[in-house]
Amino acid sequence: MFDTRAMATGHARNLAVELDEQADSATRRAELRLVGERVMPMALAREQTLPVLGPLVPLFPEGALRRGSIVGIRGSGATSLAMAVAAGPSTSGAWTAVVGDPDLGLGAVGELGVALERLLIVRPEPGNWSLALAALVGAVDVVIAAPRHRISDTDARRMAARLRERGSVLIHIGDRWPVGADVQLDIAAGEWEGLGDGHGVLRSRRLDIQGGGRGSASRPRQLEVLVPGPGGAVAALAA
Amino acid sequence: MSAPVRTLVAWCPDWPVVATGVDLAEPVAVVYANRIVAASPGARAQGVARGMRRRAAQGRCATLALHERDEAREARLFEPVVAALDDITPRVEVIRPGTCALVMRGPSRYFGGDAAVADLVHERLAEIVAERTDVRVGVADGPFAAELAARAANPTRLVPSGEVAGFLAPMKVDVLERPELVDVLRRLGVRTLGAFADLPASDVLARFGSDGLGAHRLACGRDERPPDARRPPVDWTVSDEIDPPADRVDRVAFLARTLADELHRRLGRDGVTCVRVGIEAETEHGEQLLRFWRHEGTLSDAAVADRVRWQLDGWLNGSAASRPSGGITRLALIPDELIAAKGRQLGFWGGETEVDQRAIRVAARLQGQLGADAVLVPEREGGRHPDSQLRLVPAATVELTGRSLDPEPDTAPWPGVLPAPSPTRVLTEPISIEVLDECNRAVVVTGRGLLSASPFVLAARGKRIEVRHWAGPWPIDERWWDPEAHTRQARLQVVTVDGRAHLIALAGGAWAITAQWD
Repeated sequence: MFDTRAMATGHARNLAVELDEQADSATRRAELRLVGERVMPMALAREQTLPVLGPLVPLFPEGALRRGSIVGIRGSGATSLAMAVAAGPSTSGAWTAVVGDPDLGLGAVGELGVALERLLIVRPEPGNWSLALAALVGAVDVVIAAPRHRISDTDARRMAARLRERGSVLIHIGDRWPVGADVQLDIAAGEWEGLGDGHGVLRSRRLDIQGGGRGSASRPRQLEVLVPGPGGAVAALAA
Repeated sequence: MSAPVRTLVAWCPDWPVVATGVDLAEPVAVVYANRIVAASPGARAQGVARGMRRRAAQGRCATLALHERDEAREARLFEPVVAALDDITPRVEVIRPGTCALVMRGPSRYFGGDAAVADLVHERLAEIVAERTDVRVGVADGPFAAELAARAANPTRLVPSGEVAGFLAPMKVDVLERPELVDVLRRLGVRTLGAFADLPASDVLARFGSDGLGAHRLACGRDERPPDARRPPVDWTVSDEIDPPADRVDRVAFLARTLADELHRRLGRDGVTCVRVGIEAETEHGEQLLRFWRHEGTLSDAAVADRVRWQLDGWLNGSAASRPSGGITRLALIPDELIAAKGRQLGFWGGETEVDQRAIRVAARLQGQLGADAVLVPEREGGRHPDSQLRLVPAATVELTGRSLDPEPDTAPWPGVLPAPSPTRVLTEPISIEVLDECNRAVVVTGRGLLSASPFVLAARGKRIEVRHWAGPWPIDERWWDPEAHTRQARLQVVTVDGRAHLIALAGGAWAITAQWD
C-alpha cells in the first residue's frame, strides 16, 4: 500500500519535471549545449580556447583566445595590450615566449599579469627568426613576436599552418606581419591619467581599442579599457 | 616477508669536487643551476653548504673557487674506481658517479663474511682514490640502508642483518630525499625515520600515495617495492650494431639516444620499468664490457642516454690498461630487475607538468641552435631602476621548474622606486634629448633637487615635441661611497602631446629618455 503510493507520487513528480522541461526547453537546451562543450573530446583543437582576462573578453568573438589563431595588435600601447592578452593564458599555467624585443620592460610584463616564472625571452638573429618561431609554436602556448624587420609571405603562411596544427596562439605587435590576423586589435587612442603639471605620477591609461579580423571576428568591436590600470594590471573602466 | 638483498655501498665523499681535480683543503664548490651541489671540506669549514645559492656561498667565503658541474667528467673519472671492484664481483652497479653498490651474497660467501668483503673493497678503492678523497663502505639490507651506513661509516660500517630498522630509526626523515614529503612529515611532527615507520602503512598509502608508501617501506628497513616474482616473459634488451667500429664517443652518442628512446618505449608499452640498466659494449676483438647503472624508473630517456655516453667515455678514454683494444661494434641496453611501472604522479599544483616540460625542452633546443645568450628568463633582484628589479639571465643557468618570482612578502620596497605601472620599454641605449622651457632655455636641476623651470618641449635630432603633463624630479644618489660607480640622477615622468609617456633622466648634465610606456 505504502509502496504504490510512493510510486504514484514518484510518477507524478516525474510528470511534473517533464512538463517543466517542456516549458523551459530553451534554457535546458542551452544548458545541454554547455555540458556538451565541457565534455567535448580534446581532439578538436579548433574549438579549444585559452582564457583571457575578464576586462578584455569583449574583444574576442569567442570570449577567449582560440587555439591556433593569430592576434595582431597595432598602435601606441600595443606592447602593454599584447602582454595583457597573454596574461590570461599565463595565469592559468601556460608558458609565454617573447621573440625579438630587446628593450622589453620586465616589471611591466609582470604587473600586467604574465607569470614571469613561465616566460621565455628569445632573441634570435634576423636570419633565425622563422627557426625560433617554428620551434616555439607548439611548445609554448602563447608566442609574442615583435619583429623589427618584415616577415616574408611564405614564412608567415607556413607559420599560420603550423599554428593551426599545433594549437598555439601567436600575438604579433606592429604591422610587419604580411598575412591578415584572425583577430586584429587596433589602438585608436590612449589617454594617460594621474600626471599633472609638475605633480602626480602615472597611474593608468585608458585605451580605445577597435577590434576586427576574419570570420566571426570580422564584426567590428570597440572597447575602452585601462591598460595598465592602477597598480599595473588591466582594469575595466569604472562605470 | 623477505628481507631486502644484502648490499654493500661504497661512497667517495665530495666526488663532484674531487672530479674537478683540485686540492680538497682549498675552498672549492661545484655549482649547477646556480646552486651549490657539492663543496670541499675546506669550503664547508667556512659555512658553504649544499643547496646554497652561488652568491650566498660567495658571501660566506670570499675566496671560494666555483666550478660548473660536469657530470660526464665525474662519470669518466669514476670508471677506474668501479673497475677495481670487477674481480670481486662482476655485478658492480653505479648508483651515481661517486657511489657504487654490489650485492653481497656471492662475494660474502667467497671471501668469508661481510666484514672481509667490506675491508677488501675499502682497501682496493682507497688505493685508487688515495690522496684525492677517502672511501666509506657500508653494508646493510637493501641499497637505501647500505648507502646511509656508508655515510655513517668510518671507514666501514656493518649493519647486521635484521637490525636495519633499528639503525634507521634515529635518522632524520630528510634522508628520504623526497623534499615535498619530508616537508609535510616535518610539519606533522614526524621527524625521524623511526617515527615515520611507526605510522600504519595503509594510512601512509591513503595520505601520500604509492611514492609515500615506497618511502615508508624504506623507513621500515624493507625494499622500496615488494619483490616481483613474475619471470619476465620477454627480453627487453635493445641493441644495435655499429659499422664501422666506433672508437670515439661522439660517434656512439647518437646511437645511445636512439637506443634509450627505444628501451623506454618498449618498457612503457608493457607497463614495466627497471631497477637498473646495464650498458653493454662489444669491441671488434670480441671484448665485452658491461656496467650497471641505477635507474629505479626515475630516469628519463635523455638521462639514460647521458649515462651511456658517460660510460663509453669512461671506457674509451680510461687508462691504457683498461681501455678496450678495438673499436666498439655493438651497443646494448639491458634492463635489469623489472618492476611494475607505477607512473610518477605529477603535481596538481606546482611541480613539473607536461606543459612545463615542453617549454623547458624547447628552451634547451633553442639554446643549442641560437646560442645560450639568445634564450633568456627573468630573475628577480633589487634595484631602483626599471631595468634592475628584474634581470634577464640565460635559461641554461637556472632551474626552470618550480621557480617563483613573486617578490618575497616581507621584503621592504627599495626606496626611490617609482610606483607601478612600470615602463614596458626600458631602453638599452637611452635616447639623448634636450629639455627646454617656454623660452627655449635648457631645463636643469638645481643642487637642491628642483627644476629650474617647467619643461615645455623635448627636442631630439631636430624634432621637437611638446610636453603635455609632467611630474618630478625624483632624485637618486646611488653608490656615493664608490667614486667609480657613483651616479646621481633626477628622473621625470613626461606625457607628450601625442599621448606617449616617457621616463626621462638627467645625469651628468645631459638629459636622456631611459624608458617608455608603450
